[in-house]
Amino acid sequence: MIDRLYALYMREAKRIFRSVYMWIMLISQPIMWLVFFGSSFSGVPSQVLISFFHTTNYIAFILPGELSISMLFVGMFSSMSLIQDKRFGYLKRVLITPTPKYDVFLAKTLGGMTRGLLQVPILLVASYFLGVRLNLTPLSLGVLFLSLAFVGLGFSSLYSMFTLKTADWQAPGVISNLINLPLMFSSTALFPKAFFPGWLRAISDVNPLTYAAELNRGMLLYNDPSWNYLGYLAIFALVMVLLGSILTNKYLNAE
Amino acid sequence: MYSIETENLTKKYGDFVAVDHISFKVEKGEIFGLLGPNGAGKTTTIKMLTGLTPPTEGEAIIAGYSIRKNPIEVKSRIGWISSEVILDDDLTAWENLEIQARLTGVKNWKERATSLLKYFGILEFANRRTGKFSTGMRKKLEVSMALLNSPEVIFMDEPTIGLDVNTRATMWNLIREINRDYQVTILLTTHYMEEADSLCSRIGVINKGKIIALGTPEELKARYGGDIIEIELKNGANVNVGLENAIVSNGKVRIKVNNAETMLMDVIRAIGSDNIKGIKINKSSLDTVFINLTGGTIEEQDFDARKFYAMIRRARR
Repeated sequence: MIDRLYALYMREAKRIFRSVYMWIMLISQPIMWLVFFGSSFSGVPSQVLISFFHTTNYIAFILPGELSISMLFVGMFSSMSLIQDKRFGYLKRVLITPTPKYDVFLAKTLGGMTRGLLQVPILLVASYFLGVRLNLTPLSLGVLFLSLAFVGLGFSSLYSMFTLKTADWQAPGVISNLINLPLMFSSTALFPKAFFPGWLRAISDVNPLTYAAELNRGMLLYNDPSWNYLGYLAIFALVMVLLGSILTNKYLNAE
Repeated sequence: MYSIETENLTKKYGDFVAVDHISFKVEKGEIFGLLGPNGAGKTTTIKMLTGLTPPTEGEAIIAGYSIRKNPIEVKSRIGWISSEVILDDDLTAWENLEIQARLTGVKNWKERATSLLKYFGILEFANRRTGKFSTGMRKKLEVSMALLNSPEVIFMDEPTIGLDVNTRATMWNLIREINRDYQVTILLTTHYMEEADSLCSRIGVINKGKIIALGTPEELKARYGGDIIEIELKNGANVNVGLENAIVSNGKVRIKVNNAETMLMDVIRAIGSDNIKGIKINKSSLDTVFINLTGGTIEEQDFDARKFYAMIRRARR
């Protein structure tokens, strides 16, 4: 049973590790966020920073947010990988074996999650060089990885669900446009919600990105995490993975 | 003992009937060919027999199991080779084999994989990425992957399409060899007459979703063969062909005769030498079998690919 999922997941992982472009993307994207976006507030007086962001370093504020956003963006790659398998016929090869369809879905989702988690150590090292000092303990690192794994699983599942029935290359780009920007800006990953209008705050309050950003901000910056946020993320991941598995079993076709 | 039995197997996409109540049996150890033009329903038949798509109607028993009731049992007893070679080119040959082995649930796959690679003479390339393989090597690797789980039946969809003459000959030998050495039943589809003739112990001729003839190549030739005199008419020639067994289409007259050489003069006289642009004689072969069964050559089957795929797309929605 687990052998089939293992085989398909190893395939995803090997393809990720062997692609040079993948590494360029993994390393450059989050660092560019930190350096360019993170520096945009560096001239703001520290009084203002403290009252808005509760820290004197805006990069430190967005680091947990940016980690969560990274997990959102990798969702696109798992659905692209599925579409590629349809296009090149590889999915036919898999579905002619006694492999259940949900194993295909789980492998893609886990692959997307893995790709996202690879960015975590890269970002932590980069932020150190940008002068950010975090509360790094085995516990805080464990919670960081676990919570981000939940976010990655959840969003990879969500993406795959939307592109389950299509073999169009354009689909993941369109979905990412429709999902990424609203979720990113309605979360507290980049800005606190103090100045959000009511409707945006309402979205923000159910947005899993908000929970991931707040949990890890609490953990890494103030050493005061809200544990129920971790539970919220776990439920989000579980629901998405279950829903995705059921829909895949029902609707996935080889072409 | 049959490896494949189909009974009124049918696949409809909306109103379009891709496969229309086909019934045939394939004995264990046979090489069976489904011969027909593009769009005849060959690939759809394979898709149903491999469990990729459920039939609309009818039943098929593969290796003793129903594709409707026990698709998992069927899937673990078959191998499959696509018309286009499907491998993961970012992975090595060995890694491709490992994935296939785990997906089909083969326990001692390493020994099996090694011996198969040795058998096909590609063991030394095991750790090379398949993206760098030649087409022949890729085909051999695909066949190794299909044999990994010691299947009872291997389905080959157009196994030699797009291959050059040498590689095709190699592939033919390979198909004969694995049929003999691994006692595996093979169902292949093709639109090459000479391929069906030289490889298959029995053939089902399929056209427009229906099996229109079934038998050994020799039986088919004896029953539906005969020489065919093909006469191309001049433009504007208006001939009233009063000959027996004559079919007129697209400015061509095809006449089925027992012996073309002795009948040729009579035919020319009947049509009138002024009306004739060219003459071709087809000696009895699977080509003439196909012409006799359908009234045209396999290339002439008026298959409108665009219409066909548009219909399938519509039906899938």
